[in-house]
Amino acid sequence: MASHLKCEEITVRFGGVVACDGVSLDVEEGKIVGLIGPNGAGKTTLFNVLSRFQEADAGEVYLRGQPVNKNSTSQMVNLGMARTFQNINLFAEQTTLDNILIGAHHLCAPPLQSMLWMPQARAVERELTDRAVEIAEMLNLESELDNLAKNLPYGLQKRVELARALAAKPEIILLDEPVAGCNEEETEELQNIIARLNRELGITVLLVEHDMSMVMSICDYLYVINFGANLAQGEPADIQTNRDVITAYLGEEV
Amino acid sequence: MEQRTDADIQDQSPQPTKWDRSAIVRLKARFERQNWAGVLFLLACAVAFPMLPGVEGWQAYTVALVIIYIIAAQGISVLVGFTGLVSVGHGGFLAIGAYTSALLTKYFETDIIIGLISGGLMAGFIGFLLGLIFLRLSGAFMAIGTLGFAFFVGTVVNNVPLFEGREGISLPSNKVMFWEIGDIGFYYVSLTVLALVTLFSYCMVRSSVGRAFMALRDSEKAAEASGVNRVLYRTIAFSISAFITGMAGVLNGHIVNYISSEVYGDIWYSVDILVAVVVGGSAVLMGPIIGGIFVVMLPFMLEELADFAFILKGVVLILVLIFAPAGIAEVLGRPIRNMRARLLRQAGYGGREPAPAETTSVAAAPSQTEKP
Ligand SMILES: Nc1ncnc2c1ncn2[C@@H]1O[C@H](COP(=O)(O)OP(=O)(O)OP(=O)(O)O)[C@@H](O)[C@H]1O
Ligand SMILES: [Mg+2]
Repeated sequence: MASHLKCEEITVRFGGVVACDGVSLDVEEGKIVGLIGPNGAGKTTLFNVLSRFQEADAGEVYLRGQPVNKNSTSQMVNLGMARTFQNINLFAEQTTLDNILIGAHHLCAPPLQSMLWMPQARAVERELTDRAVEIAEMLNLESELDNLAKNLPYGLQKRVELARALAAKPEIILLDEPVAGCNEEETEELQNIIARLNRELGITVLLVEHDMSMVMSICDYLYVINFGANLAQGEPADIQTNRDVITAYLGEEV
Repeated sequence: MEQRTDADIQDQSPQPTKWDRSAIVRLKARFERQNWAGVLFLLACAVAFPMLPGVEGWQAYTVALVIIYIIAAQGISVLVGFTGLVSVGHGGFLAIGAYTSALLTKYFETDIIIGLISGGLMAGFIGFLLGLIFLRLSGAFMAIGTLGFAFFVGTVVNNVPLFEGREGISLPSNKVMFWEIGDIGFYYVSLTVLALVTLFSYCMVRSSVGRAFMALRDSEKAAEASGVNRVLYRTIAFSISAFITGMAGVLNGHIVNYISSEVYGDIWYSVDILVAVVVGGSAVLMGPIIGGIFVVMLPFMLEELADFAFILKGVVLILVLIFAPAGIAEVLGRPIRNMRARLLRQAGYGGREPAPAETTSVAAAPSQTEKP
């Protein structure tokens, strides 16, 4: 299978801190790939590099074989990449429906047609609204569509983030701790949803998650990083028994 | 190799019954129609006003002044209300509009329509450049930057000979397509501009453009992740805002047939327009209307005490900031909103109230680290 998202030797320094120290990974098309590692390992930083929120000091990112270092942050969604954030970033003062619709921003008519309410722009708008409602239904958010995002409980806010990312019709989606702070039931529900996205819509998933039981059951392949560098990679069963990985996680506990 | 078993996925909780939104959608459409009816009623009153018996030219002139302020305030509310950027320098755009049209009228004898278009475009263009220059600024820095812009415009009109400084430029009587118009004609021109600007604002706010503005206001990161081009939409916001305020400037010059740096070289206009949207409310359509009436009518109502108007404006501004930070329009609209909220709840709308702080917290997620 073809490589969907690949990075080579990514290095990011924040002053003296080396958040990423030559990390490489390769996400195969149509797979669910997990990125795990202890707190502060550099997972979020790597996500930011992959989604063009952070400029790397060294290294290259390729999306379907094309380098993306010239693309701006907001262009990534046009290339079929959407993401969510570890710390929820929602449009707090807007309804769930509007939050999802913004996710579909790049599918809207051009600004001038949009603001003058030209007929085509209104037609696109209606179509996108219908789709937003469908996405909400898929994520069991339909009863929240008219509520303000800031009034939703934490677990639902995480789900609105996911819905917003899905509204962009992504081919690959980067999820930074999608179930952090969710209870067991919510976790299971989200896990099923992610699996369905992958299976039914063919969306490639790159996932950062600390919930190991979820990672092990949902991922096709895992990358483990520690102190900003690759530590191990392989299928979940192999990672579970990998000595280096166990040491890294136990070491963190001391 | 397949870690996830298909059984896991197929064994999903039973599909819950679909939430029926149609009643809510219908109600919201009805509210929208009521809003329109209200706006059309106001418009009808405004159209009828000069025709009422006993209404004289100077009264139409006064109301036209209010209308001009409302237009200027609508311009700034695009920026303040929907993109969350503060401008303390919108008087600069007012001046650019006024001088553009005044010079065209003086040298080329153009009419008000051409003045409005070219004054608006000129202000919009300068707004575009300013948007690019101030791209990285926000909050207090944006306020200082825009204030600097107003001072700069003031210095230019004071010192560049073309603008004739304190001497000012006298304009011939106002014309629309070769017809001379008096106070009442001018009133209708202003009202037309107000109606068009209001309609445009309404559509813009309810389009993907308005959504993108509000997205950038609420979370720049999430907006960019959703494909909202920050540079593009900030410059669009600045241009539109400046265009509208520039048109107000055109009218403001023509209504007295005279402009000079004594009026436009100062920052009082900038302050007045900002006060209008803060007092009236910036993120609601009625906000600039109420704010514009307040700012213009206060000195009139104080009559011989008019000199104290600026103190009183300050006092009202502070009171509003403390007791009604979203503006007077928001407070006045509260009974209607409460009634509508009740109807929505009766229709089965979830109507979530703000949840307790810890559950709504958008702060960092507690990372649960489970060992493999
Ligand atoms: N903007 C920044 N400025 C300075 N240091 C940073 C910045 N962002 C991250 N770091 C540092 O880089 C390292 C990696 O952080 P990162 O957030 O990528 O870790 P992570 O693997 O996502 O951790 P967690 O599991 O806790 O989310 C940490 O030591 C962090 O303190
Ligand atoms: Mg992280």
